[in-house]
Amino acid sequence: MKGKNRKQNLSDAREVDGSYDQLTDSTEDDFELSTVCYRPEGLDKLQEQTKFTKKELQVLYRGFKNECPSGVVNEETFKLIYSQFFPQGDSSTYAHFLFEAFDTDKNGSISFEDFVMGLSIILRGTINDRLNWAFNLYDLNKDGCITKEEMMAIMKSIYDMMGKCTSPCMQDDTHREHVESFFQKMDRNSDGVVTIEEFIESCQKDENIMRSMQLFDNVI
Amino acid sequence: MAAGVAAWLPFARAAAIGWMPVASAPMPLAPREKRRTQDGFIIINVSGTKFQTWRSTLERYPDTLLGSTEKDFFFNEEINEYFFDRDPDIFRHILNFYRTGKLHYPRHECISAYDEELSFFGIIPEIIGDCCYEEYKDRRRENAERIQDDADDENNKEGVMPDMTLRQSMWRAFENPHTSTLALVFYYVTGFFIAVSVIANVVETVPCRASPGMIKDLPCGERYALAFFCLDTACVMIFTVEYLLRLIAAPSRYRFVRSVMSIIDVVAIMPYYIGLVMTDNEDVSGAFVTLRVFRVFRIFKFSRHSQGLRILGYTLKSCASELGFLLFSLTMAIIIFATVMFYAEKGSTASKFTSIPAAFWYTIVTMTTLGYGDMVPKTIVGKIVGSVCSLSGVLVIALPVPVIVSNFSRIYHQNQRADKRRAQKKARLARIRVAKSGSANAYMQSKHNGLLTDSPEQASKEAGQAFLSKTNLSFEKEHHHLLHCLEKTTNHEFVDEETYEKNCMEVSSVNPPGSRCSSISSQHGLTSTCCSRRNKKTFRLPNSNMSGSHAGSLQELSTIQIRERPLISNSRSSLNAKMEDTVQRNSEHPYVTSAIISIRTPPVTSREGNNTSDSPDYSQRNIVKVSAL
Repeated sequence: MKGKNRKQNLSDAREVDGSYDQLTDSTEDDFELSTVCYRPEGLDKLQEQTKFTKKELQVLYRGFKNECPSGVVNEETFKLIYSQFFPQGDSSTYAHFLFEAFDTDKNGSISFEDFVMGLSIILRGTINDRLNWAFNLYDLNKDGCITKEEMMAIMKSIYDMMGKCTSPCMQDDTHREHVESFFQKMDRNSDGVVTIEEFIESCQKDENIMRSMQLFDNVI
Repeated sequence: MAAGVAAWLPFARAAAIGWMPVASAPMPLAPREKRRTQDGFIIINVSGTKFQTWRSTLERYPDTLLGSTEKDFFFNEEINEYFFDRDPDIFRHILNFYRTGKLHYPRHECISAYDEELSFFGIIPEIIGDCCYEEYKDRRRENAERIQDDADDENNKEGVMPDMTLRQSMWRAFENPHTSTLALVFYYVTGFFIAVSVIANVVETVPCRASPGMIKDLPCGERYALAFFCLDTACVMIFTVEYLLRLIAAPSRYRFVRSVMSIIDVVAIMPYYIGLVMTDNEDVSGAFVTLRVFRVFRIFKFSRHSQGLRILGYTLKSCASELGFLLFSLTMAIIIFATVMFYAEKGSTASKFTSIPAAFWYTIVTMTTLGYGDMVPKTIVGKIVGSVCSLSGVLVIALPVPVIVSNFSRIYHQNQRADKRRAQKKARLARIRVAKSGSANAYMQSKHNGLLTDSPEQASKEAGQAFLSKTNLSFEKEHHHLLHCLEKTTNHEFVDEETYEKNCMEVSSVNPPGSRCSSISSQHGLTSTCCSRRNKKTFRLPNSNMSGSHAGSLQELSTIQIRERPLISNSRSSLNAKMEDTVQRNSEHPYVTSAIISIRTPPVTSREGNNTSDSPDYSQRNIVKVSAL
């Protein structure tokens, strides 16, 4: 990604401000990470790469920077932010999967470019792009097919977000049944895994899914 | 919800795409996007200092002045700004609260000025961030105490209020002797008699000149027995009368009897009465003599007269653990050295160290550097041990004592602060819980109201405008839409704790038709496709803990409307607050209506308040209004 050159901008506070103290060496180390600052590429470049307008990018960046002043989101912050929206349940597992899906260069943190690229696909991409993205989300080990175990994990994480107090009461194998029905619908050749072609084909046949994929177009 | 997180809501909603292929039910429609272009600047002029911010920043907290329409009252058309005639320095912190989600308390500001600004702008102080919360609470408490002290002084200066009963005025006279001259006289008289009694006890034991005809000196007590007895009687009578008067005047007699001062009073006068009872019994006269020792407790009655004595007693009590530790370490050292000393001196002849307990006395005297010299070691080993003992005694005693003395104030204040922090932590966790449940409850509340916005316009007209216009904030709507999608994906619904527990109990006792019918929140109302079986679902609108909603009105009319085909009268799915009774009602009167007034009180009371204030006008249409608590 083009952003790799920019990463040289990291400023190491210890050398710069000379507050390196022999006696309190250990405490200075603790502050090292938090002063790292990462700046994204220019607005024009991002506009070329994504399908957002300038104004939308500005709004997105303002919100992003507000919550993550250092310019990158690490997984902990990500989970924390996501958990604010689901007060009743435990959203950490799903947030972890989301984090994996957004962190395309697998460096353990989501920069603004990753963030905006992901959002561009979800919100401004074609239906196929979106389905591809969703498939990528479900395919935990990124091997091109979704196994039952992977789907179980995803389903459990979604059900975890509901929390305990639901109606009807949540049973232990609720999500298992859901996975079974999912596989029945998606797995055409019944080989126990869902490939990308099967996935896209089955989704295109289902009206509800097609309609709901466009539900969030106006979010930004 | 933190303000900054509001900016991430679009992301959270976009990420919901991950649920779509998995969901088996159709998703609810997204809330109408009114405008995104209105996100412009807003200029706030506070006494000449101009602040600028985005409109959406202020809208994060809709229940404050700046976030609601209340600020329109301050809009000045001439300058096209919002003008507030308040303190700009404090306003800076208030505006920062909107920006960062954390409210800070500036230490140099006066606490009451700050409080006034907070209440003007409609911000509750409980959301002050943890960094500043303790300081804020401390200052507030100090201020409150100061005001209270001033008020007390005022109270004390004025005369007896005419509407106090005799009992209350007596109690007041006892507690604050400066209130009236009679109280003052009483105060001094009792003080005088306490002093007399104590001096008499002391002088009793001094040997007087022997009366003529006696050989040895007698103690004065025995020589002038009658005089001392009369004096004692007089003092005890005064003390008894005082105690009885206090007992009568006390507002809470039980608490008074258990208090320390009253116990001291009782102990001071009991020996006399016991002595009266068993004067001539020789066997118990020994015990009687011991009892007289307790007369010395009269001196503690002075603590009512001396503020300093009370403070000393209180500080000793609060530093008891430190003193206890000192005692414990000393005891350990004493035992160690006494044991060593005993075995060291065991060999020598005519040793005074006959046993380890006997050696205790030596150790204590040596460690406290008293050195009476009544017991001395004779062997060399014993002398070595003795010297080590005295050296370590200096260390063991001399070191902790100043530390303990300085610990008095430090630990005392620290303890208070630790307790405060623990109490605040509980309060803080409660606040967080309330905020969390507030947002969860807000969702469930508007889940039911959400039906109103999609159902025809007559709904709003009937339900009353005031209620609908409250939760029109787009952020809330979007967040609730997100939660709604999650419900649809998993085919389960959010309920609050009570309903959940009730459901669990019912599940275990009754076998409900466990259909995955999501008809309740369906937009189109009940159609036969959604639910053909009778579904019993219990709902409860949580009407307590609504911290997110307006602090204003306590009563809201909330009705839920379900448009229904008149044919299906049997297979109707009923939203019932109680499973039992309303089902019957609905089957008899297909068009019965009942409006619920949901009050901000625990559900128990609101159930009574709901009782069918039926409005017969509504019954004409094919709309069944079912009420949910």
